[in-house]
Amino acid sequence: MADWLIDISKNPQARSLIKTLGLPLPLPTPLDREKGPWSAHPLMERKVAVGAAPGAAMLAAISRSVAAAGADPYLDGATDTAAFGEAGEAYGHPPRPVTQLRDGDRVRALVFDASGITDVTGLRALYDFFHPAIQRVDRSGRVVVLGRTAGDSAESSLVAGALDGFVRSVAKEVGRKGATANLVLVEPGAESRLGAVLTFLMSARSAYVSGQPLSVTLRAKDMGANGTPPVRALDRKVALVTGAARGIDNATARRLALEGAHVVCLDRPADDGPTAQLAREIGGTPLALDVTAADAGEKLLSALRDLGGADIVVHNAGITRDKTLAHMKDEQWDQIMAVNLEAVVRLTAAIEKKALEDGGRVVCLSSIAGLAGNMGQTNYAASKGGVAGYVRGLSPKLAPRGITVNAIAPGFIETRLTAAIPVAIREVGRRLSALGQGGQPEDVAQAITFLASPGAQGLTGQILRVCGGAFIGA
Amino acid sequence: MSNRKTRAVIVGGARTPFVKAFGDFIEMDTIALGVTAVRGLLDRLDLPYREVESLVWGGVILPGTAPNVGREIVLDLKLDPGCEAFTVTRACASGLQAVTLAAAAIERGEADVVIAGGSDSTSNAEVKLPQKLIHAAAPVAFGKGTPADYLGMIQKLAPFTDLLPRQPKIAERTTGEVMGEAAERITRHNEIPRDAQDEFAVRSHHRAAAAIASGRFDEEVVPVQTPHGRWVHADGLVRADTSVDKLAKLRPVFAKDGTLTAGNSSALTDGAAAVLLMSEKKARALGLEPLAAFRSFAYTGVDPADQLLMGPALAMPKALERAGMELGDIDLVDMHEAFAAQVLGIVKMLGSDAFARARLGRETAVGKVDPERLNVHGGSLALGHPFGATGARMVTTMANELHHSGRNTALLSICAAGGLGAAAVMERVES
Repeated sequence: MADWLIDISKNPQARSLIKTLGLPLPLPTPLDREKGPWSAHPLMERKVAVGAAPGAAMLAAISRSVAAAGADPYLDGATDTAAFGEAGEAYGHPPRPVTQLRDGDRVRALVFDASGITDVTGLRALYDFFHPAIQRVDRSGRVVVLGRTAGDSAESSLVAGALDGFVRSVAKEVGRKGATANLVLVEPGAESRLGAVLTFLMSARSAYVSGQPLSVTLRAKDMGANGTPPVRALDRKVALVTGAARGIDNATARRLALEGAHVVCLDRPADDGPTAQLAREIGGTPLALDVTAADAGEKLLSALRDLGGADIVVHNAGITRDKTLAHMKDEQWDQIMAVNLEAVVRLTAAIEKKALEDGGRVVCLSSIAGLAGNMGQTNYAASKGGVAGYVRGLSPKLAPRGITVNAIAPGFIETRLTAAIPVAIREVGRRLSALGQGGQPEDVAQAITFLASPGAQGLTGQILRVCGGAFIGA
Repeated sequence: MSNRKTRAVIVGGARTPFVKAFGDFIEMDTIALGVTAVRGLLDRLDLPYREVESLVWGGVILPGTAPNVGREIVLDLKLDPGCEAFTVTRACASGLQAVTLAAAAIERGEADVVIAGGSDSTSNAEVKLPQKLIHAAAPVAFGKGTPADYLGMIQKLAPFTDLLPRQPKIAERTTGEVMGEAAERITRHNEIPRDAQDEFAVRSHHRAAAAIASGRFDEEVVPVQTPHGRWVHADGLVRADTSVDKLAKLRPVFAKDGTLTAGNSSALTDGAAAVLLMSEKKARALGLEPLAAFRSFAYTGVDPADQLLMGPALAMPKALERAGMELGDIDLVDMHEAFAAQVLGIVKMLGSDAFARARLGRETAVGKVDPERLNVHGGSLALGHPFGATGARMVTTMANELHHSGRNTALLSICAAGGLGAAAVMERVES
């Protein structure tokens, strides 16, 4: 499971030897990751450089996020200081001009408010801010561009598209340093839902999310959770995680529990040993259930009702049965569909009315192979693509209850399964991303936990790739 | 607010002079200092010892073998053995905590006469041996050591340099940050220049010196005879002749290009202070004149990683709100001066609309603190800061000040390690 290039990267003697010998080894930067539970000030004492195109509408929300997270903002010349003054003074992080940064100073994050850009000529503001600033991004740093969701006009659609392409390329350029770049498009009126998303993208918790566009909208009904503190955000919530016994799912259950959730760990009866052990360690409830059984829905419903209903549902359970189509047996097709797709739909439908709380969260696991297609995975891709489509279709149905529905598409994650892939293919898989390395199960767990939190109310119907800016299916 | 009969009133306060650590009081531990203050208080008010029903004491450095310092004071002083006692610790706010607990107990009808105060002897802080040595020595200490245990103990002593006592640093346990470094951060976050800090420190010294010279502190300070026979009459740290120029020469102590110096930071000090509280009914029955009472008090907490010493910026508005008052209604303000930067930073936060909107849920700032009404007789920068005693010192000085000047209300505040804040509103009691 260990990435040999990362291991070399971590050894300073090895690094300098490679440099001296001039070996063309693309040493990826080990990523900065956050181990413990969420802290109230994830950016304590870090520097964040902020810029804006004229007509920027989200400076107040940006300043609140940056100051509350404990960071010191440095404003680019053109940016309106007045909008920053309030939050800076309130939290003791007054804004300073970016000229105060000395030559060698690095910043943790670059944040650019592009919401004021309405046409082609306005795009020049991106060059004006990033051209001098991009090299200041620290190792494991962040770039976040904020814009408006495409409206009715051709211009607004043009601008949203341009920002998307721009950010994907920036992600490739800063990826070598282990830094990420992402785009957040905010619907007019949804600025109050931006804060938590921006803090997540600036923090070490989004280490493996890069080159991604996210849309913050008012679609899901407001549940009045705006003032929720970022610490123990899932206190008193009940979370269901299917397939919890191993790998990504195990990491997800642990992280949800760290934030205060009571986790129902569901897995096959054959795996009840590891499932029960996990549940014991995190103070959760084990549930041994075959998700494809005819009575699975009923059993799940009654188990959740005993706990007072689920606030968070994470559909993690998934299998692979790879074979090229011409040689695929029919049970290989049927099993994949049953576990990866049918079970997700049936179980969600079973609990939707009676055991899924208002203001709740549904997170499904898709996959970038599912989005891109892959040799020998017609069944798998059909199921995972189906999950993505299901998420898009279900989200408007549950939005009036304040429930958000999203999918996570992991890229190359270092797990037991990927360790079993033949070495040449595995190396290629690892390196074909902007960050030049595989992700950790922890990275997917962090993204799922974020989507499950009250602060993510503005995200619904999205497919969030946790892929390190992977080239596949981009 | 409680009804007149069970309102707790302050009838007097007394303290030892405050002296620099490892100075005149080096041979007196925290219990001895506390005994001196309490004895001085009872003798000055001429109160029979048997009247005292309860004693609440505050301290930070508590002796390992006798942490209930309050009870030790009762026993050493030969107060009635039925005078129950306990000891509280809330970092630098321990003294104020003890006093407010006593007031609350009286208001609940648990007692009629309570002594509350605090003391600390930095000179006698116990130095900790490395824990691995203590664990290795356990079988030997409990008298059951085999030769193998002795050998094992010696083996665990290596490397022997571990045994050298380490100078204790006042650092936050969770963040590892030294308190002075946290104060340096406050100057950065609130943009407080060095000259403002030095000016504030000079003012504290001059005002304290004036109070000593005019005899204002005579009724509060009890002369102390040390075990060597030496008499100490006045606070030893006050510099009447200091000036901004003199302080400007001092080098920064917490950061290379920092602004905090020994001149604008409070010093390690030894001392004790005690306050006598009674139910109003009892005070009048004994013919004692009440000086002041508590209208409200509040304790708050913030994340130590944020701005460690900003607690009072939250506690002061909370205490005002509980008292149904605004800052403009207050006559005197007394803030513990851990660092000049910390006081100035909090004053700035109280005066900020943005801070009030974001952190206090108010539309406008708490208000402007008038420098003429702030720490009118100096503060911890000049007088020193024996951690547990400071709260009781501030209550004593403000109670006397309200009584003598005829002013009506005072707002006190103390910042404390762990991100805690304490505040109280005191009001004069009509004779």
